[in-house]
Amino acid sequence: MSMNESNHSLSSNASEYSTTTGQIEVENPKMSMRNVDVSYGDKQAIFNVNLDIAKNEVISMIGPSGCGKSTFLRCLNRMNDTIESCKVSGDLLLEGQDIYDPKLDVVPLRARVGMVFQKPNPFPKSIYDNVAYGPHIHGLANTKFELDEIVEKSLKKAGLWDEVKDRLDQPGTGLSGGQQQRLCIARTIAVSPEVILMDEPCSALDPIATARIEELIDELSANYTIAIVTHSMQQAARVSHRTAYFHLGYLVEIGSTDDIFTNPSHKLTEAYITGRFG
Amino acid sequence: MNLTTIEIVNKTLKKRRQKERVFRAAGLVSVLTGLAALVFLLHTIVGNGWGAFTQSYIQLPLKLDAQVLRIDNPLDEEEWDYANYAGVIKASLRERFPEVTSRKQKRILYRLVSPGASFQVKQLLDDRSLLGSEVTLWLPADDDVDSLIKGYINRELPEKERRVKDFALTLIDDLVSSGQLERKFNVIFFSAGDSSEPEQAGIYGSMLGSFFTLVVTLILSFPIGVAAAIYLEEFAPKNRFIDLIEININNLAAVPSIVFGLLGLAIFLNVFGIPRSIPIVAGIVLAIMTLPTVIISSRAALGAVPPSIREAALGLGASKMQTIFDHVFPLAMPGMLTGSIIGMARALGETAPLLMIGMVAFVVDIPGSFTDPATVLPVQIFLWSDSPERAFVERTSGAIIILLLFLVIMNGLAVWLRNKFEQRW
Ligand SMILES: Nc1ncnc2c1ncn2[C@@H]1O[C@H](COP(=O)(O)OP(=O)(O)O)[C@@H](O)[C@H]1O
Ligand SMILES: [Mg+2]
Repeated sequence: MSMNESNHSLSSNASEYSTTTGQIEVENPKMSMRNVDVSYGDKQAIFNVNLDIAKNEVISMIGPSGCGKSTFLRCLNRMNDTIESCKVSGDLLLEGQDIYDPKLDVVPLRARVGMVFQKPNPFPKSIYDNVAYGPHIHGLANTKFELDEIVEKSLKKAGLWDEVKDRLDQPGTGLSGGQQQRLCIARTIAVSPEVILMDEPCSALDPIATARIEELIDELSANYTIAIVTHSMQQAARVSHRTAYFHLGYLVEIGSTDDIFTNPSHKLTEAYITGRFG
Repeated sequence: MNLTTIEIVNKTLKKRRQKERVFRAAGLVSVLTGLAALVFLLHTIVGNGWGAFTQSYIQLPLKLDAQVLRIDNPLDEEEWDYANYAGVIKASLRERFPEVTSRKQKRILYRLVSPGASFQVKQLLDDRSLLGSEVTLWLPADDDVDSLIKGYINRELPEKERRVKDFALTLIDDLVSSGQLERKFNVIFFSAGDSSEPEQAGIYGSMLGSFFTLVVTLILSFPIGVAAAIYLEEFAPKNRFIDLIEININNLAAVPSIVFGLLGLAIFLNVFGIPRSIPIVAGIVLAIMTLPTVIISSRAALGAVPPSIREAALGLGASKMQTIFDHVFPLAMPGMLTGSIIGMARALGETAPLLMIGMVAFVVDIPGSFTDPATVLPVQIFLWSDSPERAFVERTSGAIIILLLFLVIMNGLAVWLRNKFEQRW
């Protein structure tokens, strides 16, 4: 959505938001991104974004739709590789290691940085197979017993175990939307990633299922680093420690979630969280 | 005049309804026309061909007498090959009708039974211990007798214009009244190869020929087509060369089938010198013909697998190969099979390219392997359709019924597969 035309104080002059307001760096970052530019063919979608993600934090990314949140998120585990026209430049480090190093294999990277998508996308296989697939391809379990254990542990962590333990052999696609999304989370954590990326994980869910996922994110943050894109400011406020506000491909402001929502420094951030555009 | 919106709408309403009615009627008429054509076609074919599934048989007690058979030394295999099997049948006929004495009348008598019936006696005598015994057999009647029994020959016609003469009529009526001439299920039609005698001709040979051919076609076109589809859809770089290949594949699907026959003739027969009319060559030619269909439908099936499934697998760290073979390929499989079955159905009904590679041969023997001379069902139909005898007309339609039956089964299987495994996302 474009900015409110009548509001001249918000008119787009890139110099007003091309440098990020707030503290980009953190100590001992889990991931560290510098000077990230992303373009789809001729069209640049991300401009010079600098951001650190701390260990075991929940960082949320908000902003008007089309501002590049998903694009940026998908850089973090190179899911953008699947889009032919997408070119990423800049330094993106996972624990100091360049993830866009041409010699780096994306398979272990994606095992370390897992992803949950907007629309629940379980495999059209059994609940068990959905969760077991990741550990299976990465060889994380040597025996059937170990695999069973991983599946059970992951489903428990995703808060789905009690609902599905009697029907693990039934198709994952037969679950409700919220259950499917939790199954997708269980599937992701079954490979023990260090970072979990979530791209609007609740946008297809009803409020109750959403609350359930938000609770889950809170629980998971004890063990995982989570980066979540959301269009719901309430959600960002509820689940995240830090919030990043994106605008037209620029990272406008980054700060603690409390500060961003109670005392934003940048006028664009303020305009967005007060609902003047979105 | 000030009309409210609703009044303006109401004014046009009648016209709009009218248009809708006309359109609906036109649609209904086209559907009914199509249905009528189908019903007419089926009625003609079934009406013509139904008789082919039964055949008139004459019951005769046969004395398998060594003297009549002219076998002096039962241990001499050659004597068995040239034994007078027809003589046994003739003797039995003479015994049944002792009043027939003149040469001319005898000839008519002997012609009641199919000339090929002696072969049945020969087969029976493969069990050598039967020599000297007496057995009762139902032997196939001649096709003229069969036509008369089935009512295709009008008894009221003057004798000169009738294929079955008056004397034969009396003999036939005699046999019918004694219960020795009956219509029975036509075993020969389903168990024999081609023959110049309609009552000895069957579709089993060509059915097996079709089977062997289709097996070759399937074995070649399915794996190659699916592999090509996977490469083009998932791995191929996007460049001019690949575009060119794609355009060519799409065009190949529209090439008239006879061109593939010419290709087969030029390459397999003329260059490689493979013998004519064998299922392997036919299978290869039809495989080349079906390949574009298989590739196109397989690509459509692969493309129909939603990207979210690929993303899910890739996001877990599955490699491209794992993503394709663990998720995309199994999900696309029913669609690929459906496309292939429809391609196979087309190949089953194909005649033109096979004529080019010499599948039109007159093949009596039942093919036993991929390299035995054979013909295929549609070509058999084509061959029989050329024969004027009523019995062959009937068999032509009978074979068409069987061919249609196979096609319906194959297409039904394709539809069933599609419905059963159709995924809703
Ligand atoms: N696959 C793609 N090809 C081309 N342009 C894309 C593609 N995906 C996203 N974009 C463009 O990149 C910009 C950012 O999109 P996106 O990251 O999806 O935004 P958000 O997730 O914040 O809504 C948009 O202008 C969008 O049109
Ligand atoms: Mg998005």
